[in-house]
Amino acid sequence: MSLRQKLLLLFSLTIAAAVAAVAWTVLIRIRHVFEQRDQEETALFVGQFQREFQNRSTDVVAAVGRLAGSERARSMAVEIGQTGDSALFVNEAQRMAQDAHLDFLEIASPAGEIISSAQWPARFGYTDAAALTQSTASFLKREGLPDGTETLGLFAVRPVRGADPSFRILGGQKLDQAFVTGLPVAPGMTVGLYANNAVQVQMQAPGGTFAGFDPRQLIGPDGSVANAQAYEPVVMSALRGGNQTSSIIYLTKRREDSINLTALPLKNEQGQVLAVLTVAISRAGMVAAQQHIRAIAYGVASGGILLAIIFSLWIAARVSRPIEELARASEAVAAGNWDVSVAERGRDELAVLARSFNHMTAQLTAQRERLVQTERVAAWRELARRLAHELKNPLFPLQLTVENLVRARQLGAEEFEEVFRESTQTLGMEIANLKTIIGRFSDFSKMPKPEIERLEASDAIWRVALLYFPSLVRGSAIEDGAAAASMDRIRCSVEVSLEPMPLDADPELLHRALSNLVLNARDAMPEGGTLRLGARPVGNWIELTVADTGEGLTPEECGRLFTPYYTTKQHGTGLGLAIVQSVIADHSGTIAVESNVGSGATFVITLPRATA
Amino acid sequence: MLRRLAIRAVFGLTALLLALPAAARTRPRYGDTLRVEVSGDPWERPGGLARRLVFDGLTQMAPDGELEPALAISWASENNDHRWQFRLRPGVHFHDGSSVTTTAVVASLMASCTANCPWDSVRALATSIVFTSDEAMPQLPQLLAGSEFLIAKGAGADPDGGTGAFEVSGFANGTLTLAANDSSWAGRPFVDAIEIRVNRAVNDQWIDLAAGRTDVAEVPAESIRGAQQQHLNLALAPQAEVLALQLSDRGALANANLRAAIGYAIDRNAIANVIFQKQGKISAALLPQSVSGYAFLFSAERDLNKAHELRGGMTPAPLVLTAGADAALQLTAQRIILNLREAGFNVQLAGPAVRAADMRLRTFAMQGADAAGDLVSVALASGLAVPAMGAGPSSTYNAERELLEHRTLIPLVHLPRAWAVSGRVRDLQLRYDGSPVLEGVSLEAAK
Repeated sequence: MSLRQKLLLLFSLTIAAAVAAVAWTVLIRIRHVFEQRDQEETALFVGQFQREFQNRSTDVVAAVGRLAGSERARSMAVEIGQTGDSALFVNEAQRMAQDAHLDFLEIASPAGEIISSAQWPARFGYTDAAALTQSTASFLKREGLPDGTETLGLFAVRPVRGADPSFRILGGQKLDQAFVTGLPVAPGMTVGLYANNAVQVQMQAPGGTFAGFDPRQLIGPDGSVANAQAYEPVVMSALRGGNQTSSIIYLTKRREDSINLTALPLKNEQGQVLAVLTVAISRAGMVAAQQHIRAIAYGVASGGILLAIIFSLWIAARVSRPIEELARASEAVAAGNWDVSVAERGRDELAVLARSFNHMTAQLTAQRERLVQTERVAAWRELARRLAHELKNPLFPLQLTVENLVRARQLGAEEFEEVFRESTQTLGMEIANLKTIIGRFSDFSKMPKPEIERLEASDAIWRVALLYFPSLVRGSAIEDGAAAASMDRIRCSVEVSLEPMPLDADPELLHRALSNLVLNARDAMPEGGTLRLGARPVGNWIELTVADTGEGLTPEECGRLFTPYYTTKQHGTGLGLAIVQSVIADHSGTIAVESNVGSGATFVITLPRATA
Repeated sequence: MLRRLAIRAVFGLTALLLALPAAARTRPRYGDTLRVEVSGDPWERPGGLARRLVFDGLTQMAPDGELEPALAISWASENNDHRWQFRLRPGVHFHDGSSVTTTAVVASLMASCTANCPWDSVRALATSIVFTSDEAMPQLPQLLAGSEFLIAKGAGADPDGGTGAFEVSGFANGTLTLAANDSSWAGRPFVDAIEIRVNRAVNDQWIDLAAGRTDVAEVPAESIRGAQQQHLNLALAPQAEVLALQLSDRGALANANLRAAIGYAIDRNAIANVIFQKQGKISAALLPQSVSGYAFLFSAERDLNKAHELRGGMTPAPLVLTAGADAALQLTAQRIILNLREAGFNVQLAGPAVRAADMRLRTFAMQGADAAGDLVSVALASGLAVPAMGAGPSSTYNAERELLEHRTLIPLVHLPRAWAVSGRVRDLQLRYDGSPVLEGVSLEAAK
């Protein structure tokens, strides 16, 4: 991954993370605000319902109070008190209830015995304990009806004023569909009443036992309540716990089809929960607003991220361009092209770096030219020194021979003839010696191009070994002591791996290089020693070794050993190892020497293993 | 004999009460229209008000409880009351002018009684109608005075006409108009016409009566006390009908002990004194004492412990009780349900149309002339087997005891029937069953 891509990724991730964090925070905050508002709205409506419920209670108390204070009730009480006969008023409760717009009305004796009942006229003579309630407040009560069912009502009890004994009037209103219909509701709100009137329900609150939830018993303004089954957990929680319970109910899998449901337990004077008033506020509007805001937030965030990526691209390009130019220039310098420079823009650190780089390449170029010039001069000097040295040796005998000839002219003919013959012989030998020296320099300057073919490394080793140690038996890889005589008391050993070791090489050049090393080893062991030749595979490479047990080399000598015209021999040209290195380099290989003074030297040639 | 004297005393007193204001007046005045309001259908069987005015029976009950000839001028039994021969009154015509023949009478009787008849066969024989039965029919003349055996021309639900003192002249705006039949065999009635306003609520009837818009208004038993407190002018038949609970002897109530337990569980005091405002008389027998001569056949006191004991821990299936639409009957039914609930019965109230009821709350009209006849009438109306009985109160007593022993009919209270009349109505008399004898009424001229 390039620097520009890394910068782009870094900038993009940073900005995207920042935008996402901001968007998430905003959304969370908005959701919190909406839910808080939703809860406040719910609490407001619940409070409104409680006030409305209180108003209904007040109405019932007032209606019953008016009846208890009416002349009609007082006259009835007086007449019953005087005659002791209440039968005449057995239907009075129905008439009074009709006039007072009450659903329930019972006229009871001071002992609580029903004189007249509007809701259950046949109950006269039976006792209703609720009629003996002394409380002035309204209360909830389940009222039995002639058909065997019960219905929930809001009741109040008042004694008939001005009558002695004190007859009691127990009146109330049903908490039914009409009651629910009369409750004030806002758009999106649904109220319901779960009273479970149809069956006798054993209720003990709180923590009592209840019949199972019957969704048909949840009545709303239109009768049944849609999706009433979903109300079960909240309603049953309020029924069992006796506390106001709120929860968000999902009517379907869609979020907008959810409601904020609050269940208000309605209790009697003993604290028993008789019914539950449900207030369901649709969350559709809130969810729609949330989704709208979320869509806007996502749009803004997406746009921001897109802009951030574009901006990051620009920034990354702007930041990375000088560095990329520096990198390309560095690669060129590394490749040997020192004539490169980078643009210097601005005054920042990158501009300083570019300026320094340009200065550095300029310095390197200048130093290289100076070094080349210096090396060239040194080479010529070395060449001149070598030539002078090599040519000086044969020239001296030549000079002496010529001087002898000149002096011999004064000798007799026979003696002159003998001196002449010996002098011409010496001149010929020295001239031949000069030709040999010139031929060596000519060979170094004219290294042939390798003619590559497939060969086995072991063959190359054995070829040179058998050349100089003919008594060796190929394949035995054992030392041949007898051969030492022909090699100035040098013994030879060969260690060749049995694995195939194919090489793509020029066999003559490789043989020449190995022979050169073998001859150098011979020269390094004038007093005799051991020569070890070896070949072994090392990974994708073939390692050829030529080791001697001579005096060895100093580290300085090892460092300069392959420099042309450098030699440790008295009569060497210093071109042998240079030629060997040239041959090995032409075969894409390397040559190295390992040596310590007094422990011999080992030359290691590493060549690429030929592939099929 | 004492019973007869008692009946005559009651009716005599009633007639006297009504006649007192007019004691000083002269003979009744002909003409004018009598306005009557009823809460039901005047043609309703068996006791619809218009039926008695338009149709006649072979016999009829006089207001004093005496059996009188009507379309039959005489009758005689043979073969120990197994065969009865009624001689048809000659010269009687239906309202359309056609003569009343024995064939027409037989056809009418056969149409009015298709099942559970007191006779096995009826046929015309010259100027007589002959009834025969395998069982003795000692009460047949009295039974034929009942409104269910009135003679009409043409069979079916909508007869062409009768022979009564009035004939139908029209029906408009909820008012049935009956015109006086000048050629009635019983003589022309005093009023020219009777207008019967139907399906009128009792309270509205009383308002109309007070406002002078009607002359006769109904007074249900439970409202008699209120009417008296309002000082309405009342005509009263004190024990015109008996309110009874008829039980099925099948299904959930197949066990006689359960039926007996129901009888003990009911609080008759509450029904008589509260629902019927002390106008009902607690009944310990099917027939009122004024008719039968005996007061009780069983204990009418509520005994809840006895009821529980008879139920014996059995929990019968939910029972169905039906009652008429009348408010007092509905209230009584609810009270019975409450009483039975205390005794461990689960009872549901259903409308009168429900046939598969376990219990029916119903009333039976008392003809008043003969205890045995009333007993047979009740037995026939309730579909029970008519008990065999001879002459005399003891026989009737035993027959009623036998009838009630099966615990399928539980008498509750005897109820009066009453009518409120305006001040211009003269000589209104009631039969024992409380039906008004409007053909004998005359109206005072407007002042």
